[in-house]
Amino acid sequence: MTEANPTLHEILIIEDDAEIRRFLRTALGAEQYRLREATTAAEGLIQATIPPDVIVLDLGLPDHDGVEVIRKVRQKDTRTPIIVLSVRGSEPDKISALDAGADDFVTKPFAVGELFARLRVVLRRSLATPGDAAVFRTGDIEVDFARRRVTVEGKEVHLTRTQYKLLSVMIRDADRVLTHSQLLKEVWGENQEDQPHYVRVYMAQLRQKLEKDPARPRYLRTEPGVGYRLVTE
Amino acid sequence: MKNSKVWLECLFSVFVVGICSVISVLLRNRLALENFAIIYMFGVLAVSVRCSRGPAMANAFLAVGSFHYFCVPPFDTFIIEDSNYAVTLVGMLTIALVTTTLTMKIRKQAEDALKREEQTKELYRLRELAEMEVQNERTRNLLLSAVSHDLKTPLASIYGAATSLLEEEDRLDPAERRELVQSISGESERLNRVLTNLLEMTRLESGRQLVRDWYPLEEILGAALTRLERALRGRSLSTEIPPDLPLVWVDDVLLEQVFINLLENAVKYTPADAAIRVSAHVGAGLVEVIVQDSGPGFAKEDEALVFDKFFRGKVEGVRGVGLGLAICKAIIERHDGTVAASNVASGGAMIRFTLPVGAAPPQPQTITEDSRHD
Repeated sequence: MTEANPTLHEILIIEDDAEIRRFLRTALGAEQYRLREATTAAEGLIQATIPPDVIVLDLGLPDHDGVEVIRKVRQKDTRTPIIVLSVRGSEPDKISALDAGADDFVTKPFAVGELFARLRVVLRRSLATPGDAAVFRTGDIEVDFARRRVTVEGKEVHLTRTQYKLLSVMIRDADRVLTHSQLLKEVWGENQEDQPHYVRVYMAQLRQKLEKDPARPRYLRTEPGVGYRLVTE
Repeated sequence: MKNSKVWLECLFSVFVVGICSVISVLLRNRLALENFAIIYMFGVLAVSVRCSRGPAMANAFLAVGSFHYFCVPPFDTFIIEDSNYAVTLVGMLTIALVTTTLTMKIRKQAEDALKREEQTKELYRLRELAEMEVQNERTRNLLLSAVSHDLKTPLASIYGAATSLLEEEDRLDPAERRELVQSISGESERLNRVLTNLLEMTRLESGRQLVRDWYPLEEILGAALTRLERALRGRSLSTEIPPDLPLVWVDDVLLEQVFINLLENAVKYTPADAAIRVSAHVGAGLVEVIVQDSGPGFAKEDEALVFDKFFRGKVEGVRGVGLGLAICKAIIERHDGTVAASNVASGGAMIRFTLPVGAAPPQPQTITEDSRHD
């Protein structure tokens, strides 16, 4: 029985819609995840006191604002990854959720593969031991942190200090979405938060240097209305 | 109220007859009697044009009486010496009364005509309103039938495929089962696209606020191309966005929708081997973006219509509500830009849209002093 296997990752799903829960149960069960379910924010908060490996939270719960749930969870538990489910057209909600401490989001309707990918990423991150790898490799890009050397297809690419810093932050959170304000804070510091186009200008420069076709980026993907994601999978 | 109006009219009557009498008294030694009769008849006419029936009739008697008193010799008495004057007075009274009655009648007719005209106007306005209502109703019906068609068709495929899987599970081989599942997945995507466009249109029409910021155009195009990865697979697509193109002041989610709709159309309306090209350049105070394909192009008469809501080119086997380009137009116009459709001389459809380039945004501080690391 999967229920008895303690090595399987446990996921807490907080979602009011029974059909969505049903398909998640089937799909996640088939992928060897263990599941706990809550249908309201209140119930979810109680269940979250015994931390699962990941929380999957619907932002449109009937009893509470989803962002409020994230804040409450984060007051006691800063580690458990939270993935939010949201609909298109509510990008500001996604940003609020991410800024409140959610780790990533999936837009409804979503292909189940997309959710699996997000789950893998947050689980990989929460299990990884601190201490960055000395070399980062994805596709034809290689970054040697010790020598601060970036190569694309073996050829060295010169990055400015800011470009390098931005890339390093993206690599540290590879495959996870980062909002404009998170990137601004990390790369430029607290007082630049009202200039989100800085990030976009530098991201465009990075794409020019790292991507084969900057208009069809393979690695440095945009999440419209939300932020960026360095895709390595 | 009505009483005071009658009083005012009586006063007016006395005033008019008074004037007639003053003129007559001043001139009675110099002019013949007929002239004064005419003066008083003017008075009668003036009063009957302005006053209601009662006072006007009384005025007729007053005028003839005054004429008699002031103008018929001997002056300033009601005595009649010549019997000819009696005939004159009776005749004058008759004419005065008839004039008053006729004037009243004509006035009433004029008033009635005015009233009728107003009623006609009102009726006309009501009919216009009714026609507008009918027009709205027609638009609503068009929307309903287009939407229900575009929602129900994929839904029908999904439902059909799902029930086949439920009921025929044992009799289907794995390949058939896979085909049904693929159909469910693909049709769900289609349903989602229709819904997204519908929602976006509704939001725009209800005055949704734009969430604007400075963006590199390339980034927004890139997001659209990423989202359309599957639809564009195997298609020849080229992009020409100069790296030094100025940032644009836009709502990124909405502009992405513009690119998605334009590119989806290009894919939908051209054969699989047709090339698609997206380019942009700076013009006078604006950025112009061109999305063109090497497909069959627009029918000549369609060029101006393609941006209409629910318009659909007459291409066989192509499905859709016809909302895509209408939404593009709505979005671009909300950004103070323009959009136009035409055909490329060498063949193919071309949509060009513009976005105004405002004041340049503040550049990142480090951009100039930022040096290369070693």
